[in-house]
Amino acid sequence: MSDAEEQTGPPITLVEPIDVSKLDSEFRKTIRSMPNGEELMACFACSTCTAACPIANQWDYKPHQLIRMILLGMRDDVLSSKEIWECLTCFQCQERCPQKVRVTDIFFDCKNLAAEEGMIPDNIIGLARELAEKGQLYVVTADWEREDLGLEPEVPGLSANGIREILKTTRTNKIVGGES
Amino acid sequence: MPAYNLYMGCSVPANYPNYEASMLKVALALGMELEYMENVACCGSPNLRAIDYLGWLTVNARTLAIAEENGHDIVTPCNGCFASLKDTLHHLKHDESDMKKVNSELKKLGLTFKGTIKVRHFIEALYTDIGVEEIRKKVTNPLDGIGISIHYGCHLMRPADVTGFRPEILDELVSLTGATVIEYPIWKQCCGATVLPVNEPLAIRLARDKIKSMKEAGAAFAAVVCPACGNQLDLQQLGLKDSYGEVYDLPVLLYPQILALAMGMDESEIGLEMNRVPADTILDHLTS
Repeated sequence: MSDAEEQTGPPITLVEPIDVSKLDSEFRKTIRSMPNGEELMACFACSTCTAACPIANQWDYKPHQLIRMILLGMRDDVLSSKEIWECLTCFQCQERCPQKVRVTDIFFDCKNLAAEEGMIPDNIIGLARELAEKGQLYVVTADWEREDLGLEPEVPGLSANGIREILKTTRTNKIVGGES
Repeated sequence: MPAYNLYMGCSVPANYPNYEASMLKVALALGMELEYMENVACCGSPNLRAIDYLGWLTVNARTLAIAEENGHDIVTPCNGCFASLKDTLHHLKHDESDMKKVNSELKKLGLTFKGTIKVRHFIEALYTDIGVEEIRKKVTNPLDGIGISIHYGCHLMRPADVTGFRPEILDELVSLTGATVIEYPIWKQCCGATVLPVNEPLAIRLARDKIKSMKEAGAAFAAVVCPACGNQLDLQQLGLKDSYGEVYDLPVLLYPQILALAMGMDESEIGLEMNRVPADTILDHLTS
């Protein structure tokens, strides 16, 4: 077999080629303008964040790749990824970044953008519904357990009205399909 | 007598009355005045932060604004509430535009957020305001040196520039009860609680890794200071027999339960029977 024959067909690549026409050059600007996104551009892809992440081994996109994807403008791939929702929010990546990129905070920003576009895992929508309706993620059901310990059966001072009222005016209301 | 605004959040009162009761009893015995906050509920958790940042900021700024009215620091037993409140406080102090946005929402509720009080985890208030020496004076039945591994919890430790928490605090608090703190390799690692709604097997794997690491390091018990971490390490531990074919029998205690026992309180006062992995074996390690 000659060398010429080996080189026919598309080149072998380790990753799927990026479709440049799909890149969104505004994406990085959007993230930079969001909470704690300022240091995004300082990333030099050292992948320390990935080394620190306890679950990167089972991700298709590793933390440093997600940051690189944001910088390149791969908006759709990032916002539709399962990885941003599986982030443990343990902040190990962010804590160890030598460039002070707030990686975990940036993934929170990505989730907010995905949420605005309606891309939210079903179980998270379920939690949003709990918050919108009950103002709490957990409600006391076993009040006898509280009484056995000398606690008030109902939590003193508890009122979920405040949180419910606030969430009627913010994105949560849109997510749960509430009245505007 | 230091006074505090006690912010319970939703998980501790609903799922861990044993944590609530032991915290209140320890606080009372040490002269900490914990006053339940009025008209508050859930902090929204990292889930609300993920989908509705402004809503999450406003909910937590409201809690802070209510606490500011009497000027006492907020104390909470939950790492999740601690992080939500502390992150909100940190963010709003550094972001004028969000500060304005949030305050225009709060104005409708007759409140203003100023950023004048601190947010503290219960154990940090215990350590800083009462102090190791004073607490030690109340220890009447110290543990016999039995090994306890500590799971601090991510949202207590990180991001460090926001939380300002030193893990050594909890080491000292556990040591003063007479226990030996058992270090283990993955002490900084997450319990998996946050990923539970989207990937349960992954959440269970993370909890299992922690329990395994503690047990292999020689811990007889584990200590936690968060209801979500407690749920992962204690309740999920029971399911490992089916999912992994592994049984660890590592009892998990909320820190105030350990301190209460060392201070001579009775097991019935701290709801020890509510811990999922039977934890009454700790009674065998109390000296008198």
